[in-house]
Amino acid sequence: MDLHFSEADHEFRARARTWLKAHVPTDSRPAHGEASARFDRDWQRKLYEHGWAGVAWPKEYGGLGLSGLQQVIWYEELARAQAPHHINTTYVAMMHAGPTLITRGTEEQKAFHLPRILSGEALWCQGFSEPNAGSDLASLKTRGVVDGDVVVVTGSKMWTTDAQHADYQELLVRTDPQSERHKGLTWLICDMRLPGIDIKPIRTMMQDEHVNSVFYDEVRIPLSNVVGEVGGGWSTALATLSFERGLGFIGDQLELYERVNRVIDLAEQVEFEDGRRAIEDSAISQRLAAIKADAIAIRAMTLADIAETDRTGMPGPKGSMMKLLVTQTHKALSEVVGEILDWDFLEFNGDRSNNPWIYEYLWSWIFSISGGTSEIQREITADRVLGLPRAR
Amino acid sequence: MYLAPEGDELEIVNAASDFLVGTTPISRLHEAGCADLAPSAREAFGEMGWFALAVPEEQGGSGLSAVEHTLFFREAGRQCAPVDLLAQCLLANADLDSGLREDVIAGTAGAALLVPSGASWRLLGSSEARWALLVERTGGAVYSMDAIALQERPALDPTNSLHVAESLPQPMHVFEGPTVWQLGQLAVAAMLVGIAETALDLIVEYAKVRETFGRKIGSYQAVRHPCADMAVRTEAARSQLWYAATAAKEERADAQVHLDAAKHLANLAAMSNSDTSIQLHGGIGVTDEHDCHLLLKHAMTLSRLFGGKRDLLGRLLKAQVAD
Ligand SMILES: Cc1cc2nc3c(=O)[nH]c(=O)nc-3n(C[C@H](O)[C@H](O)[C@H](O)COP(=O)(O)OP(=O)(O)OC[C@H]3O[C@@H](n4cnc5c(N)ncnc54)[C@H](O)[C@@H]3O)c2cc1C
Repeated sequence: MDLHFSEADHEFRARARTWLKAHVPTDSRPAHGEASARFDRDWQRKLYEHGWAGVAWPKEYGGLGLSGLQQVIWYEELARAQAPHHINTTYVAMMHAGPTLITRGTEEQKAFHLPRILSGEALWCQGFSEPNAGSDLASLKTRGVVDGDVVVVTGSKMWTTDAQHADYQELLVRTDPQSERHKGLTWLICDMRLPGIDIKPIRTMMQDEHVNSVFYDEVRIPLSNVVGEVGGGWSTALATLSFERGLGFIGDQLELYERVNRVIDLAEQVEFEDGRRAIEDSAISQRLAAIKADAIAIRAMTLADIAETDRTGMPGPKGSMMKLLVTQTHKALSEVVGEILDWDFLEFNGDRSNNPWIYEYLWSWIFSISGGTSEIQREITADRVLGLPRAR
Repeated sequence: MYLAPEGDELEIVNAASDFLVGTTPISRLHEAGCADLAPSAREAFGEMGWFALAVPEEQGGSGLSAVEHTLFFREAGRQCAPVDLLAQCLLANADLDSGLREDVIAGTAGAALLVPSGASWRLLGSSEARWALLVERTGGAVYSMDAIALQERPALDPTNSLHVAESLPQPMHVFEGPTVWQLGQLAVAAMLVGIAETALDLIVEYAKVRETFGRKIGSYQAVRHPCADMAVRTEAARSQLWYAATAAKEERADAQVHLDAAKHLANLAAMSNSDTSIQLHGGIGVTDEHDCHLLLKHAMTLSRLFGGKRDLLGRLLKAQVAD
């Protein structure tokens, strides 16, 4: 065991820090609408032009081809520089659509899409879940009928984050109507401007409109947009999900420590009615310290897992455990903030920047539901880490 | 950067596991008179050099590091090994004169551990020991057991006998510096991680064979999900333990913060895993013949040593870690 970063790692950290310091935008990201997507595209373009786009992507596809550890360094430096959060409208394209194309796409698909993703020109969304297929994704029903050299898609997707901003979509449909569950599915690149697509926003409890229902009425998608095989979509979808569950959340894992420190600072400032500061309340300070210990351990767990993956070349099954611990810690932290801020916690006008604390709290459910619920993460852990007899 | 046992470290793990299973298996705790480290066992540990893994070679040790020390004690935890094993090992790592150290390393005489308890002290380990060791964050002291008046107390945890000392005499020897405390904290955190792992292993094995209503209990989500939570707690505690041990080995400036965090996470994982393991075993879990309660009781002892909850959390609130 050792904790050494190599010379190259140190050099990379120094370079990243210097560049970020000079280039992180000074204006804050607009919370909603076209302006927010424009902000994300601009930042992605800047990263691209200066050679910082695609930290995880292989070099031959225009990325930086960094090791897992250097990616950790990159996310730590992003957090330190208070750079735009990488979970934004470029997230699907950068974190899983691009990597799916790299591993499963045709040469034409790669040549067309990858540069557009890297430069921020193309935003993507993920059309997997449906009204009746979330945790049980394989029960999805949106139909795709192969008609000559097109696939005609009819049905509906739900929960599609940022569909209104996206240029393309990862679209998973059932092309064999006789098939059940994992068989007979196909993974398509769907151009979101095709006729027959109708996007309806779903307002969330955070009072924003980031997720959508997407309806497809005989949308004609060229057969050349199939990624993988017709009927082999489940395998491609598993690749996509593995990228999503892999390093997609390291940023959050690493940022947690900074966030706990911000709450400790808050507790130093807030005064209760009896004149004591929040930090002097032992119930509050003990919980904050325990959450801080968890955040420190989450970093150790992240590093242990990434170093292992760098060595074996294969991500292990620990991502689910990480997501469980991070989501719980995230929520526990928000709950303490609620006690510290008391009534102030409840003031909210729907704008994230107006009360980021309550926004984070509401977001804690998004975190523990989207990308596989906590219950499903426990199922995965019970199956793959512990080898318990299956529940289903 | 690598945070799991590798290479020679794995050999230490295997050798330690074999040796501890042979010398102090957890099954011993189901027999009468099992408390403390028997002199014959102590000499066997000494002969194999287990007390001195982290002691420099020129002082008669193996010249290994805090990491191997930690790996050894995790295996000790899996067997609920007695606390005198820890006392002996810490004494071997204290700054002593060489004649004394030789005896300690060889295990020719025994050490017990003193811990502050209100206005008095508790002694864990055999009252037949020759030395009593008191360790604090900044140093420690060695006492001659002959000079300490002890009252025996009944012990919940069968691994060790328990005594109270109302006062302490002049120490035979004092030492300074944080090293012994850090090795103590690592060892106890490691033993707690070993307990957390064992508690999880026991229930996972049982859940694969025990059937109710015609199904394995491991297929019920009310069993699966707490097991998954145990796995998460264990993984977090183990990762932080490896980080802390390595930070201590590499003498990093923030090592103490990582040690405090590791001890806190180990306390939590061992306590909650042994609790949940008993519950998910059903009736068999509360029987004397089962190992579950041994894990719980030993976790209760260890969670009080080298940093309990209040102390650790008080320190962690303001502490900062580096990159
Ligand atoms: C804000 C947000 C953004 C999202 N973005 C996207 C997106 O961009 N693209 C996309 O494709 N999807 C997206 N999703 C969908 C998300 O993946 C699903 O909501 C999630 O997988 C859960 O599915 P569900 O909502 O159908 O709940 P259900 O599957 O109906 O689950 C209901 C409850 O039952 C529990 N449950 C279900 N099955 C089991 C089981 N086997 N064992 C134990 N408990 C079980 C669940 O944990 C949950 O508590 C998003 C969701 C949200 C909330």
